[in-house]
Amino acid sequence: MDKLILGRYIPGTSIIHRLDPRSKLLAMLIYIVVIFWANNMITNALLLFFSLFSIWLSGIKLGFFLRGVRPMIGIILFTTIFQLFFTGGGEVFFHFGFLQITRVGLNQAGIIFMRFVLIIFFSTLLTLTTTPLSLADAVESLLNPLKPLKVPAHEIGLMLSLSLRFVPTLMDDTIRIMNAQKARGVDFGEGNLIKKIKSIIPILIPLFASSFKRADALAIAMESRGYKGGDGRTKYRLLKWKSIDTFAILVILIIAMLLFILKKS
Amino acid sequence: MGITLENVSYTYQAGTPFEGRALFDVNLEIIKKSYTAFIGHTGSGKSTIMQLLNGLNIPTLGSVSVDKHVITSTSNSKDIKQLRQKVGLVFQFPESQLFEETVLKDAAFGPQNFGISQEKAEQIAREKLTMVGISEELFEKNPFELSGGQMRRVAIAGILAMEPEILVLDEPTAGLDPKGRKELMTLFKNLHQFGLTIVLVTHLMDDVANYADFVHVLEKGKVVLSGTPKDVFQKVELLEEKQLGVPKITKLAYNLRKRGFLMEELPVTLAEFREGIVYG
Repeated sequence: MDKLILGRYIPGTSIIHRLDPRSKLLAMLIYIVVIFWANNMITNALLLFFSLFSIWLSGIKLGFFLRGVRPMIGIILFTTIFQLFFTGGGEVFFHFGFLQITRVGLNQAGIIFMRFVLIIFFSTLLTLTTTPLSLADAVESLLNPLKPLKVPAHEIGLMLSLSLRFVPTLMDDTIRIMNAQKARGVDFGEGNLIKKIKSIIPILIPLFASSFKRADALAIAMESRGYKGGDGRTKYRLLKWKSIDTFAILVILIIAMLLFILKKS
Repeated sequence: MGITLENVSYTYQAGTPFEGRALFDVNLEIIKKSYTAFIGHTGSGKSTIMQLLNGLNIPTLGSVSVDKHVITSTSNSKDIKQLRQKVGLVFQFPESQLFEETVLKDAAFGPQNFGISQEKAEQIAREKLTMVGISEELFEKNPFELSGGQMRRVAIAGILAMEPEILVLDEPTAGLDPKGRKELMTLFKNLHQFGLTIVLVTHLMDDVANYADFVHVLEKGKVVLSGTPKDVFQKVELLEEKQLGVPKITKLAYNLRKRGFLMEELPVTLAEFREGIVYG
């Protein structure tokens, strides 16, 4: 479980670390749209350069990002290879039965591969440089304008920050319960599919039971500290939009514009 | 025979950037049918040792032998499974491992995993549940309806139902009231007298003095002191320096001795103290 890089935060003081989480989140959303515009060599090179530049700015080793790609490598290769062999059109380079490598196929495979890698790189950059709590704050703050549309921004933010807070706790719980059941002779990951599924029950039920108990205790602790919902609450962590945040958004908008112009229609 | 740890080192997540070493070249022996206690601070490696004893952790270096079973870094899972039945491990707050719909089924879960038939397993479970003080009318209840203390007893009965030869207890009385604590400790004492080897991890020095006949002191992944409670607790200054402390009565005797009260050996239990006062 500790191999999971996504969702881990690495403290630092780089420019990227100091950006407002709202600007990072917005930039991320724009960037994902932009990635789908990249459909030729120049646009992809531009995005790759921009991603690597942002990574360099964050001061985090590239190795962390590569490790973020590793758990996904199966899916990436699977899709890429499918694109490679089953897309027809253009000049045929290689032919074997129904398998063929064509110019369009090669192109498509490259684009798909780049999309995966770029999305993973950039989302890893977001989570590595932003604490989960400030990310939750950012979501709440960005949802606030939707309040007139009856979007419960505060509740969503609260649920998000609570669940992020309890991810490691539940992970510890899972390992503890798993070990306890192993000590009682349960073999995990052995035998046929039905046996494997059955062996999960002794973890799931205690985990649910302890989550319910935890939720109960937490709700009571929150109420006893005077929590009455979002109305009339002040904030301890105030998000501050600085000029550098505006600059970051501008940069990403320029990238988006460039891509829109350069993309092959 | 019993349990022997030879040059055991243990590293969590070895070979990754997150690796952390928990045990350094530990050598120790747990004598068969003894009552051995482990004391030490949080993070001193107690839990790592507990999980080495039944193969939940496999030593990174060195070997753990339990009777005929020898576990090294290359052991296969079949050997380990046999070991798990032999060494019953009661985790801290074991009530969180209950999951079956009735108390009886839950207690019978362990033995069934080791190939014992359902009827036989339930028969053993009944016996063990009675032994830990769960009355017959609770057998068909849902474990989640019980009180915390009762749930703990059911969980312990579930381990005992595997009929282990060695019972490893990780702070079994944490969070219990004084009465429940005493009852459980008496139960373990009785099991010990029936011939079980007991390994106890605790922060309660009084329990060590009252029940254990051997104690290992751990610090930062190393065994720093071993011996009978009587020998170990003589070193009051050393233990206080390590912020582990000594039994209350030993501390009292130590203070008395500092004020000139003649005492050759510090008592570790109330009975010893009384004896020392009356006859000493």
